[in-house]
Amino acid sequence: MTSKPKVLMLGWEFPPVLTGGLGTACYGLAKALSKYAEIELLIPQADKDTQLENVHIRGMNFFGINGGQTVEVPMQPLEEFAKVRKIPAPSLNPYPVGIGFEKEAVALKSPEAIRALYSGSEPYGPNIMQKVATYAEVAVRMALETEFDVIHAHDWITFPAAVRIKEITGKPLVIHIHSLETDRVGELAKGDWNRVYEVEKKAMEKADRIIPVSRYTQDCAIKNYGISEEKFYPVHNAIDPEESFRLPNKSGEKLVLFLGRVTFQKGPEFMVETAWKLLQVYPDVIFFVAGVGDMLEKLKALVLERKIDHKFVFAGFLSQSNVKKVLAQADVYFMPSVSEPFGLSALEAAGFDVPCVISRQSGVAEVLPNALNANFWDTGKFANYIYGLLNYSGIREEMVERTKQDLSRLSWDDAAKDVMEVYRSLEI
Amino acid sequence: MTDVCLIFQVHQPYRLKEYGFDLIGKDHAYEDSARNISLLNRIADLCYIPTNKILLDAIEKHKGKFRIAFSISGTALEQFYRYRPDVIESFRKLSQTGCVEFLAETYYHSLASLYSEAEFRRQVVKHERAIQNLLEVRPTVFRNTELIYSDKLLPVISDLGYKTILAEGKSQNMGGLSPNRVFTAGTENINILTRNFGFSDDIAFRFADSSWNEFPLSAKKYANWLSKREEDEHSLVLYMDYETFGEHRKQETGIMDFLGALPDEIVTHENLQFSLPSDAANNGPEIKPVYSSKEWTSWADEDKDLGAWQYDHMQKDALKNLYACELSLYKIGRPDLLDTWGRLQTSDHFYYMSTRFWQDPVHRIFNPYNSPYDAYLNFMNALSDFKGLIMKA
Repeated sequence: MTSKPKVLMLGWEFPPVLTGGLGTACYGLAKALSKYAEIELLIPQADKDTQLENVHIRGMNFFGINGGQTVEVPMQPLEEFAKVRKIPAPSLNPYPVGIGFEKEAVALKSPEAIRALYSGSEPYGPNIMQKVATYAEVAVRMALETEFDVIHAHDWITFPAAVRIKEITGKPLVIHIHSLETDRVGELAKGDWNRVYEVEKKAMEKADRIIPVSRYTQDCAIKNYGISEEKFYPVHNAIDPEESFRLPNKSGEKLVLFLGRVTFQKGPEFMVETAWKLLQVYPDVIFFVAGVGDMLEKLKALVLERKIDHKFVFAGFLSQSNVKKVLAQADVYFMPSVSEPFGLSALEAAGFDVPCVISRQSGVAEVLPNALNANFWDTGKFANYIYGLLNYSGIREEMVERTKQDLSRLSWDDAAKDVMEVYRSLEI
Repeated sequence: MTDVCLIFQVHQPYRLKEYGFDLIGKDHAYEDSARNISLLNRIADLCYIPTNKILLDAIEKHKGKFRIAFSISGTALEQFYRYRPDVIESFRKLSQTGCVEFLAETYYHSLASLYSEAEFRRQVVKHERAIQNLLEVRPTVFRNTELIYSDKLLPVISDLGYKTILAEGKSQNMGGLSPNRVFTAGTENINILTRNFGFSDDIAFRFADSSWNEFPLSAKKYANWLSKREEDEHSLVLYMDYETFGEHRKQETGIMDFLGALPDEIVTHENLQFSLPSDAANNGPEIKPVYSSKEWTSWADEDKDLGAWQYDHMQKDALKNLYACELSLYKIGRPDLLDTWGRLQTSDHFYYMSTRFWQDPVHRIFNPYNSPYDAYLNFMNALSDFKGLIMKA
């Protein structure tokens, strides 16, 4: 590989439409990688205000505009990521997807229908399979009109497209795993009705290289999908250094923050169990839940039943700037995920000097050795950790100081270099 | 003639049980008795009993020419007394040969010297009594926990009646001289015996390391190294954990055979003689070089500082909170509370909390916790309960 490799990158979520870490990670990586590679990025929904230097972003919501069948976003001046806002999507529950609705692709000859398909504020939704199928059709067409050396696809929604492009062009395929169906729905992933599992398994089998976001995810893929170990090249996510700040907490009660979709994968019921155990001994604490999801109502009922509802705040989905305000007041960041491929929000919390208590079943633990971790079901241990962080100053100071050093060692540039190594191993 | 002082440190802490926050105020027993007893049994069978036997045989064989010393912590003595009286008995037998000296130290193997003179004195005196009661000898050489030393210690040590201190052969403290001589503390007329860490670590750390270019180490080769002394090298202090023999290094490594053969090899060298530390200190020349350190130093790690026990935020916070109990405890004056407090002072608790050395393989071996954070939280929970007891007393 003498000159910059040309990468056909297939993504799904991208700023400003974000529901979780996928879009943030894809953006961070593409931005850093553009220093070393030429990137053609195809996403369902591009935004005029979100541009990256040296990354050619094509959005299907612009399909057919500019004449022919190509999709292209009109170039605008580069905007800072800080200005990107998270838009609350109506269902906010992309994973697991509802399926059983229309699965057929929208015909390529009706560009208006294609543009309409990707112009809503919901990146997933009940017609997700139709979106995925149409994406594949358009992506294949685009691939045939584009010169590239390698396909790089992010998560299952782009995998059908990626596999077909590989089959047609013979170009090497790198798939990037931010999350697996087995993380999202557990054992249900292997149910007969679940097509996502099959999509993931097939793509991993066809891929030349697999980039999981953690060794934890690699192990899950090997264990649950039977993929051989040689294909894997784990690359951890990173965060861009950012100004953090603290806000005074005037309530007199400590704040434990849960930030994320309120769904099986994130272990919200383990949070309730932990809170209950802690509150028996230490009542001066509020659990602040930022996020929505399919388990939200169940969770509210659960805290009521446990008679600890007065110790819970359900704040719903927060904008990026409000997330920062809560982080600036939080005393502990708590992520009891049942299976968390990475957990980018823990890095954001750590960036705000908030000590993290996270489940051992999370990839981010690999880059935050100075976070406290326990098995997701070990609510006694979680409660003990949170109690300690709220009562003993030594451990807070130690964790914050050491985590700063851990964060300073993480960068998207290093992640991009690791990805370049993966490309090089393909001898393209 | 060079005095060879072979000194073994014997120590067992009272390890804490898993003490969760939900036990605070309810459960006042902090230690994991079952675990402490089972570990004690294991180490007694692997190390103390068989190694004492090897040494006793060697002493009898060499008829006064083989001499050694032990520094046994009070918490170790107490556990032997309770759970393994046969270990006490075997030390007593060694003591009765007249070829074995026992050193003084803080009863709880604590860091009291850094925090409280009153508490330090209490613990040294308590240790003296224990040695006298159980082994029927009175120590005359003092060794502080982990060879922690500073000139600040001298007036207290002198006042307690000790004329000799064992310290680490840290180059800066010895004016760049080799450790193989008797030093003076300058003030207080106290002699300092300095550990030769190179030769000591050959046995304690490198012996079983097959990547070491001197591997395997034979007693003959080692004795040859020791015998290559200049005329002004009056002493050679070899000081190490006694648990090196049979516990840290298993019998299969040949460490026991090495120790058994060492006296035979050393006595063949005419310029070497085994000596008790108190004799070696007196054998030094009239005019001695000065050993001095304004800062606290120790025998640990590369830096020979307090980094393993009192370095990071957790260690400092735990120690600060622990020693803040002192005045109330003296006022209350209850021996049971003072004893619990003493046991919580054992340096091992703070060693387990070290984040600086968390990943260091040597440190990991000795740490029962998964992480320094777990060690700190467990300790702080127990201490919270203990503070509650003080409030109520």
